[in-house]
Amino acid sequence: MSEFVRGRLVPLLVLLVVFALVPYGLAKFGKGYFFQVAQLVLIYALLAVSLHLVTGAAGLLHLGHAAFYGVGAYVAALLGTEMKLGFLWGLPAAGLAAAALAFVVALPTMRLVSIYFAVATLAIGQMIHTVLLNWVAVTKGPNGVMLFSGITLFGTPVKSPIAIYFLVAGLVALSIWVLHRLSHSYYGNALRSLREDDQCADAMGVDTVRLKIEVFTVSAFFAGIAGALWAYTTGYVSPGDFGFNTSILVLAMIVVGGLGSLPGAIIGAALLILLPEVLRGVGDLRNVMVGIVMFVSILFLPRGLLGEVSALSLVRRGFGLKWGAAPSDREVGWR
Amino acid sequence: MIDPYYLQQLAIGLSQGVIYALMAIGFTLIFGVLNVVNFAHGEVYTVGAFAGLLLITAFAPPFLVVLFAVLAFGAALGFGLERIAFKPFRRFSDEASLKSRAMRESTLMSSLAVSIVVREGLEIGFGSQMQTLPFDYLINKPIELGPVTIVTGDVIIFAVAAVMLGGLQYLLKRTRIGLSIRAVSANPLGAKYVGIDTDRTIITTFALGSMMGAGAGILVGLYYGAIFPAMGFVPGIKAFVAMVMGGLSSIPGAVVCALLLGLSEGLATTFISSNWADMVAYGFLIVTLIFFPQGLFGAGRERV
Repeated sequence: MSEFVRGRLVPLLVLLVVFALVPYGLAKFGKGYFFQVAQLVLIYALLAVSLHLVTGAAGLLHLGHAAFYGVGAYVAALLGTEMKLGFLWGLPAAGLAAAALAFVVALPTMRLVSIYFAVATLAIGQMIHTVLLNWVAVTKGPNGVMLFSGITLFGTPVKSPIAIYFLVAGLVALSIWVLHRLSHSYYGNALRSLREDDQCADAMGVDTVRLKIEVFTVSAFFAGIAGALWAYTTGYVSPGDFGFNTSILVLAMIVVGGLGSLPGAIIGAALLILLPEVLRGVGDLRNVMVGIVMFVSILFLPRGLLGEVSALSLVRRGFGLKWGAAPSDREVGWR
Repeated sequence: MIDPYYLQQLAIGLSQGVIYALMAIGFTLIFGVLNVVNFAHGEVYTVGAFAGLLLITAFAPPFLVVLFAVLAFGAALGFGLERIAFKPFRRFSDEASLKSRAMRESTLMSSLAVSIVVREGLEIGFGSQMQTLPFDYLINKPIELGPVTIVTGDVIIFAVAAVMLGGLQYLLKRTRIGLSIRAVSANPLGAKYVGIDTDRTIITTFALGSMMGAGAGILVGLYYGAIFPAMGFVPGIKAFVAMVMGGLSSIPGAVVCALLLGLSEGLATTFISSNWADMVAYGFLIVTLIFFPQGLFGAGRERV
């Protein structure tokens, strides 16, 4: 029963809230501002889950995630304004461009481990940010790019806020489902073996470098998708949104939610986006409150709001299944 | 004959490098002892500058008094920072947990959280725009030196940094507390077994590192005449880069790399443009990581 609740009921409830309750509330009380906030939560949830794949599951501290998000946003925005290519082209192009860039930078850097990896990703993120800021001929520099065209699906423009919301929610849910299948599978177990002990994983025959490059690329792809969604929902991209602070914000989300836990990443994203908005009444204090929430959650909930099940209990559960102890038809592996 | 303009740029780059070096020492000391990156170090730099500003506007003391007051304040900051952001996460004192991954990640995030709170707090208190300093205190009076014109700030920063570096080397190599810092950074558990007070040593390290950070902050504030809440971010990252290039736990390595970084940025400003100068530092970092993964001075050296 509890397995059923954990595995099926909670995601269903979340989907119900995202696809029914929130749109209902938005339609009822909706001002443009609430729609913006709801879409921001969704986009950051996707960002946090894509970072979860690299940092949470594979245990590689990635400090430049926002840069790939930015690449996606700029590719979508520039394709929309300069080439007049619509949403259906911009979205996959943004993902693929971010992934391609990630693949290229990953080839030389993914041999690095621990803190060296973190510093390399920090530098890559800063370099991409510098390019976005200073390559004025293409990116318009600090002025940013305005994207007026809006979303058009197969010739029909998607205009109403509620339709845009459903589109974003659907794409984010689909992407998160893909990431979930990736991280909760044998593939995800290989990633976790990287996190726990990469030398040991290497000795066991896991191709660690290749795995790192793959996971880095996939994560950048979904960051690029999130960037395209951001570009199309706000209609304006500027370099300031894709700096180090954003990378850290996304990292804070998965830490607050529980490093290594995919639902935790979503909860962390919702918390850290909604909290400043709810606290808008406190005025300038809200960013301070975000810092305090982060600190308190690290201090008192070191495993995050929804910590990952420990590796040991996973192994026990796995063997238990093999010995037929648990009445379930699940395979051995991560659920 | 080299164009004086380039010499000028070299001088500017050098004083920038010295500032990075002062910051990098704090990073390196703390990394050497605890194996953690202190994200709040940039904020120590900012808070040091603001403390100096407040002191100047309130009492207008002479320059040296300001400097020493800020240094003392920096030490107190380091003490407080360690107590708030690092001590609560050292729940166990064996070596495995002292340098464990969980401890590293949680202190990374906690120091980050503290830095966010401090920076945003300063923005509420002072506003995000630049604070102006009284003109008398600015250390940018020109000095003619042959074809090159440098300002008093270059000389002062260089002198202060030299004194601090020398003092630190003396402290680390010739005093008991320095010995205990080196011992803890080499082997925390062993240091504990031979009777070294690990907690006190760690606090001393934080106080020392933060003292240098705060000193660098007020010197830069007086040099450029601009103090603002986000001023610590860029030097913090550059110092981080210098630390990694120097091999993560070698102070001389970090200093040399910081100077190198400052100089090459000065040259990049001349030959390319100041907007792209940041790329040089990050490019250096990537090249170092790929071709010298132990850092330029890392392998085979004593930690700290």
